[in-house]
Amino acid sequence: MSAQVSKLILMAGLIIVVAVLVLTRRIWGTALTHGLPSIWRIAKMTVAEARRKRVLQAVVVLVILILTSLTFFTYLNPEEQARMIIDSGLTTIAAFGMLLAIFIAAFMIPHEIEARTLYPILAKPVRRAEFLLGKYLGALIILGVVVAIMTVVLVGVLLLQDSMVEDLANSKFDPNLLPVLFAAAMSYCALAVLTALIMLISSVASTTMTVIGAVLLWVVGSMQSMLLDLSTKVTGATKVLTLAFFYAVPPLQNFDFRMEVSNHIGVSMPAAVFALERGLLYAIVALVVAAIFFDSRQV
Amino acid sequence: METVLQIDGLTKIYHSLFTPAGVKAVDNLTLAIRPGETYSMVGPNGSGKTTTLKMVLGLIFPTSGTISIFGKDISDLSVRERIGFLPEDAYLYDVFTGEELLDFYAGLFGYPRKRRKALVDELLTLVGMQANRKVPFRECSKGMRQRLALAQALVNDPEVLILDEPTSGLDPAGRHQMTRLILELKRRGKTILLCSHFLAEVEEVCDRVGILYRGALVGEGTLAELAGEPTETVVATAGLESAAAARIAQMPQVLNVEDGAVRLSKATGDQLWSVLQAVHDGGGRILEVAKPRLSLQEVFVRTIGEVQE
Repeated sequence: MSAQVSKLILMAGLIIVVAVLVLTRRIWGTALTHGLPSIWRIAKMTVAEARRKRVLQAVVVLVILILTSLTFFTYLNPEEQARMIIDSGLTTIAAFGMLLAIFIAAFMIPHEIEARTLYPILAKPVRRAEFLLGKYLGALIILGVVVAIMTVVLVGVLLLQDSMVEDLANSKFDPNLLPVLFAAAMSYCALAVLTALIMLISSVASTTMTVIGAVLLWVVGSMQSMLLDLSTKVTGATKVLTLAFFYAVPPLQNFDFRMEVSNHIGVSMPAAVFALERGLLYAIVALVVAAIFFDSRQV
Repeated sequence: METVLQIDGLTKIYHSLFTPAGVKAVDNLTLAIRPGETYSMVGPNGSGKTTTLKMVLGLIFPTSGTISIFGKDISDLSVRERIGFLPEDAYLYDVFTGEELLDFYAGLFGYPRKRRKALVDELLTLVGMQANRKVPFRECSKGMRQRLALAQALVNDPEVLILDEPTSGLDPAGRHQMTRLILELKRRGKTILLCSHFLAEVEEVCDRVGILYRGALVGEGTLAELAGEPTETVVATAGLESAAAARIAQMPQVLNVEDGAVRLSKATGDQLWSVLQAVHDGGGRILEVAKPRLSLQEVFVRTIGEVQE
């Protein structure tokens, strides 16, 4: 039932996306032909600005320390050790990635408006949609680099432990590298979806409201199965509200493959593809709606 | 007459929970700026100057009325390729250096790297920031920031410059430098729309002035038009005896005699001649006879006073 409803939602969503893209073709058409260099310039500026912020550097160092500290759990047997490092490592990547996504994306547009750094840019031949997309692309690049650094450190830790730990007859240290890389990549895709939704909130809200909205998105998005369970146990308006949350918020937990990878269970590719399709749909709708809202926002 | 910027019946009303009826920030404003002209909007705080500029730039949207630049709406990208904007405070990214900032803003016009490099050099020289080109913006003084902000407004060699309080927060030397720069841009034929609180500088650079009060245009014209014909005559004297000064002060049309200066209002030639004769007879020397025009400051105070009455 749930899978069928989800497919219907997916289909309806795709139709809405196509309709919105057609209706807003003037904005997007220009953005794609005229605006790509502007989008890229704004993205590059966003990345360069973030690189010089000490907070980001401090977070990356902290995450590296946390990941390298995973090598201290030597009292476990090799198999348990590998499971623990992979699970903790991927959890660290997902959690810090989400925190960074919220930190970066929630402040991006509202801060530009509050600091008025937006004014000189919008006085130049740059459409608001281009500015928004440039900021989004910049956020994706920053998050991509950070996730890549964290993943490389985790892989390094796994390889180091693999070379140091002596396998036992009934317990082997398996770094399970390819699935680990896959799980990290899926975590990054979840961040991309979350960031797009945060951009949507920030296109109409202040910094504080965006941060609150972003945290809610993360929490609700990570508890989608609980919401679905809850919807079967309640009735009336509560059921409608629960289902509304279930369908409005992207199922971020669909991108979570930690359990499968750390327990060496095969990853379901259809599940991953479904998660990516739905995620892409949410991200596109969020960005299109954000561009429409931001285009009419008084700054 | 040909106009570069045309504003017709512009009104902006802000609504909020506490003011459901709305607050009128700009009230049916109509004005036109001609090519090569330097036009200044002056007015007390809250008179709608910055709100008007923000609507001109498309940052906020009018409740009613129209704005056109070169006959087109500001949302047209070709218009924004021909304008430059200096915001009230230098709202630029503070982690970057002057040359990085200018390179970024020039890049938004799609200029290739070689052209951007030459442009950055040229602009840094124009605003006197060549020596400080690698200083991060957050470490720049207020004057340096303002000059960089002006440079970013000039990256596209705009035909129209919109300057919001360009000398705000600057020390006297900084204000003088900025005024020189604006005069240089005016000499180069730029059309300039300027908002400022410093009326002496406005007087120095502007061709026409619009006086805004509570969002409405309450006076507009050249300073000579706004000030009208001078009605006072001032006779500057030296060595005038005090008894003679007291006698002169009682003469027809004489307003007062202070610090050796005799001020007359609407005096005829004969009345002025009598005063000059009395100065001579009172042992004084005549240094200058002048009919001073009202300053912009005086015109401004008079106009606002009339509206308030």
